Amino acid sequence: MRSEILFLILGMTLVTYIPRALPAVLIGKLKFSPKFEKFLKLIPYTAMSALIFPGVFIVDESRLYIGIAGALAAGVLAWFRKPIIVCVLSAVAVDMLLYWLIP
Amino acid sequence: MESKGKQFLYGMRAGLPVVLGYIPVGIAYAIMARQAGFTVLETCGMSLLVYAGAAEMMAVGMYAQGAAIITIIITTFILNLRHIIMSTCVNNKLKNVRTAPRLLAAFGITDEAFALFTTTPQKQATFPYLLGIALVTYSSWNIGSLIGALASDLLPPLVTASLGVSLYAMFIGLLLPGLRGNARLLVLVIVTAAMNTVLSQFIDGSWALIISTLVCAGIGVFFVDLKDDEPSAEKEDGDEK
Repeated sequence: MRSEILFLILGMTLVTYIPRALPAVLIGKLKFSPKFEKFLKLIPYTAMSALIFPGVFIVDESRLYIGIAGALAAGVLAWFRKPIIVCVLSAVAVDMLLYWLIP
Repeated sequence: MESKGKQFLYGMRAGLPVVLGYIPVGIAYAIMARQAGFTVLETCGMSLLVYAGAAEMMAVGMYAQGAAIITIIITTFILNLRHIIMSTCVNNKLKNVRTAPRLLAAFGITDEAFALFTTTPQKQATFPYLLGIALVTYSSWNIGSLIGALASDLLPPLVTASLGVSLYAMFIGLLLPGLRGNARLLVLVIVTAAMNTVLSQFIDGSWALIISTLVCAGIGVFFVDLKDDEPSAEKEDGDEK
C-alpha cells in the first residue's frame, strides 16, 4: 500500500470515528432535560426526512420519475405498515419495470 | 426479555433491507476507486477501516481530481459530522450499557443503522440488537467493495440502476408508519423535507442536512406531541418480529 493512501485512509478513519464515538463517551456523563430528550426523539424523524429529500429526486439524475415512482411505491406500502423489506423490494421492482419499459 | 443471541439475530434480520442498498453502492465505490488508481488492498482497506459510503466515494473522486490528502480528510470530517447527532440518539437509547461496548458499536453507526435502531421500540432496542444491525450492514458494505474491486461489472446495469432507490425506500418504510395518526409530526417532516431541499440548493448538502435536522427537531419540541414520548411506539414492526 502506498504510504500516501495509508495516511489518507488512517486520517479518514479517525475523522469518521470521532463524531461516531464522542456521544458514546459523553452520554452517560450528561443529564438531559425532558425538553432535550424530546428534541433527541424528534431527530430520527427530521433526519430521515432530510435523508430522503432531496436525494430521492436524483436517484437517476436524468429521469426524475425513477426516484419518485420508487418512493411512491414504498410510501404507499409503508403507510399500510408493510414490512420494510417489502417496501424496498417493491420500490426496486417498480424502477426495474420502468427501466425495462422505457429504455 | 429475549436472550442476547435472539436479540442479535433480530438485529441482523432488521438490517437485511440495507444489504440491497449497500452491496451495489459498495461495488460502485470500488469501481470508482480502482479507476482512480487505488489497488484492491487500498480499495478494500478503506471500506474496512473508514466504513462511510458517501465519504469514501467522495474521497476517491477527489483523489482522482488531484486534491491534496489533507483536503480530502477535512472534507470527510465535515461530511461525517452528522454522525454526532445520530450517535447521540443511538447512545441515548443505550444508557445502561458500559462505555467500552458502546465505543465498539459506535463504529457501526451509519445513516441506515441509525434509522433502523432509533425507530425500534425501546424494549427491543438493545445492545445485541444494534450489533446485529451493525454486523449485517458492515459486512454487506465490505462484500460490495470487494466484489467491485475484483470483478467490476458483476451486476447488470438494469439491476444496479434499479437498486439505486433501495435505501430511500428503506428510510420511507421506517419513517411513514410513525407518522400515522400524528398530523403535527407529519407536518414537521414535510417542513424538514422542504427546508432541506431548498437549503441544498444554496449550501453544501452535508451542512443542509445537519441544519434542517436540528432546526426542525428544535421547532418540533414546541408543537409536536410524541405518544408515549417514544418514536414509533405505535409501530407494529411487522418486519422485526
